[in-house]
Amino acid sequence: MIWKLLRQHISIPQFLGFFLANLVGMVIILLGVQFYTDTQAVYTGEDSFMKSDYLIVNKKISAVTTLTGKSSAFSHPELQDMERQKFVERMGCFTSSAFDVNATFDLDQMTNISTDMFFEAVPDEFVDVKSEDWTFRQGVKELPIILPRNYLDLYNFGYAQSRNMPKLSEGILGVIKLKINIRGNGRNDEYVGRIVGFSSRLNTILVPQPFMDWANSYYADGKSNAPTRLILEVNNPTDEHLTTYLQDNNYETDQDKLDASKTTFMLRMIVGIVMSVGVVISLLALYVLMLSVYLLVEKNNTKLENLLLIGYSPARVSRPYQILTIGLNVLVLLIAFVVMFVVRNIYMEMFQNFFPELETPSVALSLAVGLFLLVIVSTVNVIAVYTKVKSIWNRKS
Amino acid sequence: METISLQNTLPNVFAQRNDVDSDVWLQNLTFEKQKLYLVEANSGTGKSSLCSYMFGYRHDYSGKILFDKDDISQYSVGQWVKIRQKSLALLWQELRLFPELTAMENVEIKNNITGCQTKEQILRWFEMLGIPDKTDALIGRMSFGQQQRVAMIRTLCQPFDFVFVDEPISHLDDSNSRIMGDILMTEANKQGAGVIVTSIGKHMDLKYDKILKL
Repeated sequence: MIWKLLRQHISIPQFLGFFLANLVGMVIILLGVQFYTDTQAVYTGEDSFMKSDYLIVNKKISAVTTLTGKSSAFSHPELQDMERQKFVERMGCFTSSAFDVNATFDLDQMTNISTDMFFEAVPDEFVDVKSEDWTFRQGVKELPIILPRNYLDLYNFGYAQSRNMPKLSEGILGVIKLKINIRGNGRNDEYVGRIVGFSSRLNTILVPQPFMDWANSYYADGKSNAPTRLILEVNNPTDEHLTTYLQDNNYETDQDKLDASKTTFMLRMIVGIVMSVGVVISLLALYVLMLSVYLLVEKNNTKLENLLLIGYSPARVSRPYQILTIGLNVLVLLIAFVVMFVVRNIYMEMFQNFFPELETPSVALSLAVGLFLLVIVSTVNVIAVYTKVKSIWNRKS
Repeated sequence: METISLQNTLPNVFAQRNDVDSDVWLQNLTFEKQKLYLVEANSGTGKSSLCSYMFGYRHDYSGKILFDKDDISQYSVGQWVKIRQKSLALLWQELRLFPELTAMENVEIKNNITGCQTKEQILRWFEMLGIPDKTDALIGRMSFGQQQRVAMIRTLCQPFDFVFVDEPISHLDDSNSRIMGDILMTEANKQGAGVIVTSIGKHMDLKYDKILKL
C-alpha cells in the first residue's frame, strides 16, 4: 500500500535513462576486466618454458671488448650487486659447457645433419617443464634438451625449403631422437637427446643443471667458468630502475622481452583508460539515478511527511525506493553479464584462431568485479535515499 | 506516558509580544491521563503550533515540553516513531489523508503498523459515522466533512495515552459531531487516555474536565 502511494510521480524516462547509461558503463567495465584477463593469458601463455617476468642479461659486447680481450663474464662483486637490487626477485647464472658437443639429427635413413654445438644450463626453478621430463640421472644415456624456437624456423624455412626436405613440427621433433656425442678430458660418449620443448625467449640450447655440473667435472677439469649471462626474475619488467641500472652498468637484455612487456604495459594502459571511461559513465548514471530519486522524494514530499507523522519510521518509508534502486542495479548487472558473455564469445573465437593452444581463462574476476560494484552502488543508493527521507523529518526543526 | 507538561512554553513567533494572555503559553500546565481538556482559541493564537510541538513535528518554541519527566526536544527519531505509534494520537486540522488512496486504505495504512483495531471495528465506525458506502471511494473525491470522519477513524487505530483532536468537527453537523464525540470518548476511556480537544468556536458537546483559553 505504501508502494501504491510512493510510486506516484515515478518518471519512466528518467529511470530508463539511468538504466541504459548504467548498463553501458557496467558493460564497459566488465568487458575491460574480462578482456584484460583473456589477453593476459595470451601474453603469459606464449612461451610456456619461461615464465613471463624473466629477463636474460649479459654484458654488451663491443669492438673494444673484443680487441682488448676484456672479459664479458660477470665478476663476483657484480653478481652480488645485481642480486641486491630491489627489482630482482631471484637470480640465476647460465653455466656453459666446457666440453665438445656434436649432435646428429637422423631425419630419415638417407639424410643426416651433423653439427658441432654447445650446451648451457640454468637453475631448474627457472625452467617451467614438467619435472619428470627435466631430470638427469648419472648412468642414464638419455638427455632432455630445450631448443630455441628459431632453430626450428631456420631449419624449416631455410634448410628444408632449399633442399626439398620435409618440414618438421614441434610435435614430431619431440619424438625424433638426436644422437649426441660428447668429447673431452680423454673421454668420448654417445647420448640420446630428447627434445622436451622449444623456447622463443631463451636463445640457447638448454640441458638440466645437474647434468651440466656433472659433465663439466667429468669431461672437463671441473673448473667452472664465470657466467656470461644471467637470468633474472623481476617484479616488473617495465620498472625504470631496472632499465637505468642495466644502462649504467653497460649490460643488455633481450630486447624482445622488454618489447613484450612494453606491449603488455600499453595494453594494460589502454584497458585502464577504457575502464575509466566505463567508471565515469557508471558514475554519471549513478548521479542521474540519485537525481531522479531525489526528485521523486521531493515530489512525494507531502506523502512521505504524512507517512512519518502517522508513525512510519524513516527506514520503513525509504524501503520502497531502496528496493526499486537495488532492483534496477541487479537487473543492470545481469544484463551486463549477458552482454559481456556474448561479446566475449565473439572475440574469444578470434583468439582461438590465433592461439589454438590457449586455455580459456575464467570469468571469475569480472563476475567478482561486477558483484563488488553492485554492492558498492547499492549501498550508496540505500544510504542516499535514507538520508534524503531523514532530511524530510528534520526539515521543520 | 502519564503526563504532558508545558513549562513556560511559547512559540518563537510570539517572542516579541508582551501581551500574551493565555492559559497555556508561558504557564506551568500539566495534562493528565483520563481527563478531558478543551483548548479554545481564536485564529492565530498558536493552536496548530501546540499540536505540532507535542507531536515532535516542529520545535520552534522556547520553554520546555515534558512527557513525564523527559524533555521532548531530546528525543531521537526512533523515540518519536515509537511515541507516534504507541503513545500519542493526533487528528490534524488539515487531516493529512492520502488523496490517492481509498477511505479504507487510508485507515489501513495506519492500522497495518499498529495492528490495533480489527477490520470489523473499523467497518462499524464507518457505519456509525454514516459513511459505510464510502470505504472504497478515493479520499480525493470526498467532501471535507466525510474526510474528517475518515481521519478520526484513522486517529483511533493505534494505542495511545493521549489523543489530540484539532478542530475535529469544523465541517460536521450536530448529529455527526455527537457520534464522533461518543466514538472518541469510548475509545479514550477504553484505553484510559487523556483527551485534548481544540476548537475555534464550535466544539463537541462533552463533559470537559478543564477548559483552557489559548
